[in-house]
Amino acid sequence: MPKPLKTLIASTLMVAGITGQSAVWAQENTDTQTADEWADWGDLEEPAEASPLTLVGFAELAVGTRLHNDAAIGQNATLQDARVQLQADYALSASTLSFRGDLYYDGVVNSVETQIRELAWQGNLGVLGEWGRKFDAKLGQQVLTWGTGDYVFLNDMFPKDYQSFFAGRDDEYLKAPSLSAKLSGYFDVANIDVVVTPQFEPDNGITGEYFSFFSPQAQMNVAPGFRVLDKNEPDSAEWAVRIYKTLGQTELAFYGYRGFNKTPMAADEQGLPRYSRLNVWGASAVKPMGPGLAKAEYAYHDAIEDSDGNNPLVPNSQHRFLVGYEQELVANLTGSVQWYMEKTVDHDALLANSYWPQYEQEANRHVVTTQLMYRALRQTLTLNWFNFYSPTDSDGYMKFRATYSPVDDWQVNGGFNLFYGNEPHTFYSQFEDASNVYASFRYFY
Amino acid sequence: MKYSKLFLALITGAMLLPNAHAEVDVDALIKQAERAAYYAGNDGRADARMMIVDNQDRKQMRQFTILRKDVEDNGDQKMMVFFSRPTDVKDTVFRVEKHADTDVDDDRWLYLPALDLVKRISAGDKRTSFVGSHFFYEDVSGRAVSQDNFTLQEETAERYILKAVPKQPDTVEFAHYVVEIDKATSLPVVINFFKSDGTNYRRVESVQIETVQGFPTVLRSKVSDLTNGGYTLMEFRGTEYNIDLPEDVFSERSLRTPPMQWLK
Repeated sequence: MPKPLKTLIASTLMVAGITGQSAVWAQENTDTQTADEWADWGDLEEPAEASPLTLVGFAELAVGTRLHNDAAIGQNATLQDARVQLQADYALSASTLSFRGDLYYDGVVNSVETQIRELAWQGNLGVLGEWGRKFDAKLGQQVLTWGTGDYVFLNDMFPKDYQSFFAGRDDEYLKAPSLSAKLSGYFDVANIDVVVTPQFEPDNGITGEYFSFFSPQAQMNVAPGFRVLDKNEPDSAEWAVRIYKTLGQTELAFYGYRGFNKTPMAADEQGLPRYSRLNVWGASAVKPMGPGLAKAEYAYHDAIEDSDGNNPLVPNSQHRFLVGYEQELVANLTGSVQWYMEKTVDHDALLANSYWPQYEQEANRHVVTTQLMYRALRQTLTLNWFNFYSPTDSDGYMKFRATYSPVDDWQVNGGFNLFYGNEPHTFYSQFEDASNVYASFRYFY
Repeated sequence: MKYSKLFLALITGAMLLPNAHAEVDVDALIKQAERAAYYAGNDGRADARMMIVDNQDRKQMRQFTILRKDVEDNGDQKMMVFFSRPTDVKDTVFRVEKHADTDVDDDRWLYLPALDLVKRISAGDKRTSFVGSHFFYEDVSGRAVSQDNFTLQEETAERYILKAVPKQPDTVEFAHYVVEIDKATSLPVVINFFKSDGTNYRRVESVQIETVQGFPTVLRSKVSDLTNGGYTLMEFRGTEYNIDLPEDVFSERSLRTPPMQWLK
């Protein structure tokens, strides 16, 4: 999920359509400027003046609209944000306090929203004694990520915001924040991260608020804009652990998670949505291979409440597999492919007990993703094309985004999200009416 | 008399010149230049800022701190680049393990703070823009001298002028480059890049050199796009060498928790 400049490496070579004249012009231009060209550094601070407090941020306007009407929603706007983000960091002697918060008017639901994306203390635990030097901690509201997939998550059980992802908000918003404590330990034998989220933080999924989804009960798309009842949302903690080590050029990681399904796929006796217990464990490896990078990841999603798979109110356990490869194809053009598979455990029992066996997921659901990322004009223009395609569901989701930012002050984005498929109920196909185009303008201050 | 003097001068010149050239060990010269330019001290830090000016005179700025540690001179190196400006790359960190063996790609990682994402980056063309500037990644990390064949073109009182021809021309955009190495500091002070038709389309210059802790150091450098007219200025401040950077500074740990004591 790379981003324009943030990917750091690339841009087109200037095509040499060269005339001697332009070379001469450049030379003269240089000579006349030499005296003062080093003088104007704008507001770049002198190191000596560096303040412990930095305040930066951006203001953004974003609009998006559906490509087809959605009978279940009856509103064409998919994105109408007027947003301000403030980022404030305060450097203490050996640690930092950081804040990143958004205030925005969301025109789609006509309300003013706030989101604290980060409000945390981060530092080394050396103050606790010599042993503490091997530990770092980050405490507070924060965004967390691990795992190897691009837009595909096997062991990353940190909260996501799929509404933002579908609507074409910046990739940053795919990851939702959680109030967590993260402890990281660094040792010769391996490094370890332990994350505790004292109160379960679910995904911001597709609820019918912005985008409709397929209801097997109604046998059509619905947009209830539902909220999970308090009694169906766990109060207890989530635990996530990662142990990782680099061997030669290969990065290995092992993961564990104790918590709940992040989407309310289970149901209570009244059929109302509920989060069921879930444990996850898995592993991943990334290593250079040929001219590119190869990766593999596995996760077992253990449905604690339905170990035999015969409870229709609780999703079954799954094995999840990912294999991927990424390589620069030519200068400034990077391509990647991923194969992802969800193997549902006890699928026979699932079908035998399901109220709607015809709508249940295939025993083995395959998804192939392909990505092309092109950077041009000295990285001021980035084109990012990403496609999910499921050969078993015959459906898919194509994303495209162009970002142009020739100066530091502003950035303009445009793109589309296109869902396609044959059957109304499959994973991507159900969102066909959510297909949208969007544009945004961001001004950095 | 007059003629014989000239004749003598010509003779001695003709006798001395080939000798003078033969005395210059080109291989040792470029290795020394590489060491002076990229391997000063065992480790080091610097605050860098860049001004990128496009051909419409629009400016972009970059501000970052570089930490470097050599595994060995003219060999492998570890590097961390911590960005502080502009806003959209603030707190982004770039980590490189540079491998001198040209058959082994550098290992590179990027930390994106907004997503808390450590992304390993696949090997890329090293002659593409470094963070949107006119500098190439290779200008910053150093192009391995083993990739080119060098010949001494000219020797002046102050400089050695060498022509470099790539061993694998299909992997680079230039047909050859001419590098001028300052005798006093062993630093390359001007590099002009040429296309096969002889057009000089790109220039990298050392604009200001000062001695820091005994190491001649390029504090200001400039790269110019002679075809389209844009250029980038890079300035280093706060340069320090041999500061005993611990090994573990160059790790994933520093991506998420920057080692603040080395960044100030």
